[in-house]
Amino acid sequence: MIYFDKVSKIYSPTSIALEDVSFTIKPNEFVSLVGQSGAGKTTLLKLLLAEERPTSGQIFFESSDIHALLKHELPLVRRRMGVVFQDYRLLPMKTAFENVAFALEAAGRPDADISSDVIQVLELVGLADKIWNFPHELSGGEKQRVAIARAIVTRPDVVIADEPTGNLDPLNTRDIIRLLEKVNDLGTTVLLATHDKEIIDSLERRVVTLDKGRVIRDELRGRYVL
Amino acid sequence: MVSLATVLVMSLSIFMIGLVLVGGSFLSAVISNLEGKVDISAYFKQAAPEAEILALKRELESLPEVNGAKYVSADEALALFKERHQGDEIVLQSLEVVGGNPFSPSLEIQAKDPTKFEAISKFLESGRYDNILDKETSGQKKITYRQNQLAIDKLTSLLATARRLGFALSIILALIALLVAYSTVRLAIYNAKDEISVMQLVGASRAFIRGPFLVEGIIYGVIAPILTLAVFYPAFWFAGEKTAGLFGGLNIFSYFISNIFQISFILLLIGILLGVFSAYIATRRYIKV
Repeated sequence: MIYFDKVSKIYSPTSIALEDVSFTIKPNEFVSLVGQSGAGKTTLLKLLLAEERPTSGQIFFESSDIHALLKHELPLVRRRMGVVFQDYRLLPMKTAFENVAFALEAAGRPDADISSDVIQVLELVGLADKIWNFPHELSGGEKQRVAIARAIVTRPDVVIADEPTGNLDPLNTRDIIRLLEKVNDLGTTVLLATHDKEIIDSLERRVVTLDKGRVIRDELRGRYVL
Repeated sequence: MVSLATVLVMSLSIFMIGLVLVGGSFLSAVISNLEGKVDISAYFKQAAPEAEILALKRELESLPEVNGAKYVSADEALALFKERHQGDEIVLQSLEVVGGNPFSPSLEIQAKDPTKFEAISKFLESGRYDNILDKETSGQKKITYRQNQLAIDKLTSLLATARRLGFALSIILALIALLVAYSTVRLAIYNAKDEISVMQLVGASRAFIRGPFLVEGIIYGVIAPILTLAVFYPAFWFAGEKTAGLFGGLNIFSYFISNIFQISFILLLIGILLGVFSAYIATRRYIKV
């Protein structure tokens, strides 16, 4: 479903973010991307989201080369990917409901569908009672759950999470990871970038390990080893 | 989101553009009004045969500089004089004392525009018509130019200067307004850059992201002309009161009122184009999809 083909990202000769990275993600997989800070996890996700262009190599989402898409085609592909960030990236002037509804509005869904879908998804992430709260009224874990709700409300094919638990305590971390597992169980591919050893060891799913921009290990039931 | 400073600068530039627009077309109207009133008069010897004068008239009319020529016979001139001085016994009596018809036949020539005067007078002075053209005792041919020539010359040069100056000024102001509107929108976009990046990541199309900023540009483009018209109305009313006698009876206020729809339409169009254009450029720079 997602295929990295000999992808390199070189900012300058002394700063090589990714070098000759190739791997495939199959539909409905739960893939963890691990590595120390600076190993290239975030760069890899940015390339997948077409926020940056690779220096060489190609990235395929299903049959389409993401970086060869026309400008108006890119939004259509992005609607099939849900994204979750370490810093949540919620819009501060919008309530939880509006933040989630926003993704559906951007995707051009009719208003009639939006309301019921948003409430359903917020219930799924366990925020039924905080629908009308603004982000600053929510805890870190709650904010991240709103972000996950926003990522999955468009029913994407893949959810991409970049250090989603980086700012959370162990209890909230476990909740968020469980939520991602639930999302995966419902049929969505999950790509999780993290450097949290405990998460990886408890997941027992496929682990791709990056080090200095290269894939050094790709195991189906991986553990956090560096 | 809509900032007062941007509205004011946009209004100022729309104001200047409007002033140039209204002022220029008003002055044009004044000039063509004056030009229609007056012309060159060439006087002929009383004995000059009418056929020759009419031949000259036809020749004049064929000149590119000439708009039209009207023949006034000696009898018509007398009738006109009598009509003008109706009830003025002394003048009419003195006319009787002179006996006969003291007037000369004449041609009233309308030039296309004041700059063509010289060509026409050269044509008349060329000597071909010496035998029919009346002469002063000094030998000078009797050709008179309109009395308002001075006023027309002044207005013409004033108009040319005003147009050039106003044009340059409104272009500069429009550029400034464009830059200010651009900076404001850019700032708004900078403030909204997180929002925009989130929009892009959830797959919003460019049109969806750009829409609100274009609407903001349109709002500026609508408010500025409305403010401008609100200032124009009392300003022209005042100017009209003060200058009504100056422009040959034309009043700038009534001119403004009778053309209010065209003026509003043009200013609104310029304002909206200015607002949308600057928003479009600013978003173009900041949305990278």
